[in-house]
Amino acid sequence: MPNASDLATPTPTAPATGRPDDSAGERFDRRLGLAKAGLGVVAIVLALMVPWLAPDAFILSVAVVIASYAAFAVGWNFVGGFTGYISLGHASYSGLGGYAVALLTTHTGINPWVALVLGAVVVALLAVPIGIASLRVRGASFVIVSIALVLILLLVFQSWASVTGGSEGLRVPRPFDSSVLRPEQHTRFYFLFLVLIGIALLVWWLIDRSQFGAGLKAIREDEDKAEALGVPTFRYKLVVFVISAFFTSLAGGLYALWFGNLDPVFQFSILTGSYMVLMSLFGGIRSLVGPVVGAVVVGYAMEVFKAQYGDSQFHLVALGLLLAVVVLFMPEGVVPALLGLVHRLRPAATSIREESAAELLERNRAIDAERRANNEASTEREAVDDPRHATTGKGRS
Amino acid sequence: MTALITQAVILGILLGGLYALLAAGLTLYFGVMRVVMIAHSAFLILAAYLAWAFNRATGIDPLFSLVATVPLFFLLGVVMQRFLLSRLKPATLTMMSVLLTFAIALIIEGMLGFVWTGTQRRISLSYSTASLEVFGANIAVVKLVAFGLAAVSLLALYLLMKATSFGQALRATIQHKEAAALLGIDTEKVAGYGFGLGLATAAIGGTALALDSTIYPSLHWHWIGPLMAIIVVGGLGSIPGAAIAALVLGLSQSLLQIPLGTTWAQTVFYLALFITLMVRPQGFFGGRLAQRF
Repeated sequence: MPNASDLATPTPTAPATGRPDDSAGERFDRRLGLAKAGLGVVAIVLALMVPWLAPDAFILSVAVVIASYAAFAVGWNFVGGFTGYISLGHASYSGLGGYAVALLTTHTGINPWVALVLGAVVVALLAVPIGIASLRVRGASFVIVSIALVLILLLVFQSWASVTGGSEGLRVPRPFDSSVLRPEQHTRFYFLFLVLIGIALLVWWLIDRSQFGAGLKAIREDEDKAEALGVPTFRYKLVVFVISAFFTSLAGGLYALWFGNLDPVFQFSILTGSYMVLMSLFGGIRSLVGPVVGAVVVGYAMEVFKAQYGDSQFHLVALGLLLAVVVLFMPEGVVPALLGLVHRLRPAATSIREESAAELLERNRAIDAERRANNEASTEREAVDDPRHATTGKGRS
Repeated sequence: MTALITQAVILGILLGGLYALLAAGLTLYFGVMRVVMIAHSAFLILAAYLAWAFNRATGIDPLFSLVATVPLFFLLGVVMQRFLLSRLKPATLTMMSVLLTFAIALIIEGMLGFVWTGTQRRISLSYSTASLEVFGANIAVVKLVAFGLAAVSLLALYLLMKATSFGQALRATIQHKEAAALLGIDTEKVAGYGFGLGLATAAIGGTALALDSTIYPSLHWHWIGPLMAIIVVGGLGSIPGAAIAALVLGLSQSLLQIPLGTTWAQTVFYLALFITLMVRPQGFFGGRLAQRF
């Protein structure tokens, strides 16, 4: 039986704006939208002014590190946010991106910025077979493979010293003239990271609104059902996986150009990968700005912690505790939680129907009559195939 | 040359035994909770540190630390299952449990470094350097002891699973939780004990490890990769599969060390993992359980 709510689709005659509770809700939504936009503008302006607000070069370098965290987290969130596949091994792509830039610039002597993009393309191509192997399995096995990938890359890059420099490290040539001083370098890289974050967020936003994005989110919610509904799950997952690897590797390459030295232990570190996960989860993997918020908050906290207590083993404990708390108590993240709080303030939309029961009955009768007329016009066979009719015959198998 | 190969084979089997025990623990967690326990190897190193600290403090053989660590780890496992893992939402349990156990691994690593610093530690025993000659191969006594410990524990685990009513309940819970619950098994409790058993294997493995290895806080990353590879190759959730995969991979690692050296020989685990996922994602010995994960 079609229930009343199915039939009571808003008709053009229904006054949509005249209701007092609706307009209050709409007014609230409009204000919330304005507040969000205002907050966004303030955040962007503040982010742009950081180089002038920072009192010294050290603080500025911390800002660059936090910006790099944000770029990593946004890159990670292409896979994590859309498909719900949590990769603990995205350090593989940032590390590979770094090494790709370093090796391309030192061996071929091409422009470092070309090398940055070229390196990311190479890493994205490498991500195709890796994705094919690891996306065949779900959940736990996927995480295992992502961790295994970091461990194997660490092993290879440490042992293959003739190419990668091994534990000695690999020097990355500076992209800017030596006449550009350190603080100026920080400023430039800071803005480069902002540009990268902006592009990545734009792509994320575009995917989010597309049919491709809808398919990916269907995979996140229930992969079997998505597949049954005709979403080409494997292809979708693979594409978004490669996009994620591309952006993560761009961020890794940019970081390598800024930092100027690569050591496998830090490039292919499980910790780097877990930072990305923690920041994204903290901010909220389903929201556009979640990973950036998470990166700023967690990254800032981590840097303060390191500055206060040194780079001791204890920061592992802090990281672990924070991750455990986020997983146990707010797996949805801070941004959605805050939005949820704000939404509580919204004037409650009542579920009480504005139509009286008699009016509803009248309207349903009219719809039924129209249906009957349609059915009579068509042949009996067509009437059986009529999807609208099929929904009324609940017992029909 | 033959002596070298014999030695490699024997060492491979000895190593495989330890891998098998630890992989059995991982399989248990996965069986009862569908949880991939990243912190397993961190607990392994924790147990190794406890054995080392016990030996340093008392001078008694570190094997005796098992008397305390095994029950302690069992309890820890039960507590972890009851108060942490069972709180996660079922829909996202697999992913979130990985992150949660990962967080626990970080906390353990950090605490180990905090309490005992990052210095490399090693237990020295009266029989540390003793070795036996078997078919012309030199086998260290401590490795035999470690293997014996692992073999006895695996056998005990096998008997527990097959011959006791608790084992039956545990296997029923692993096979089909809802059906087991319908038959009157308190699956939550059984899952907790299963988790405890899994962690107890880490206690035994850690003590065995402490006998013949140098330990340091971040060592657990070197163990988790191979162990994860073993349970995927063996098929998640299958204890015999894990044991077979552990022996085969342990043996291959040991044999490959002759031409490739220790570092590159480790890649055999990842290679096996990659091939398994390409050819048979559910693992070579796993049943339908592994399919979905």
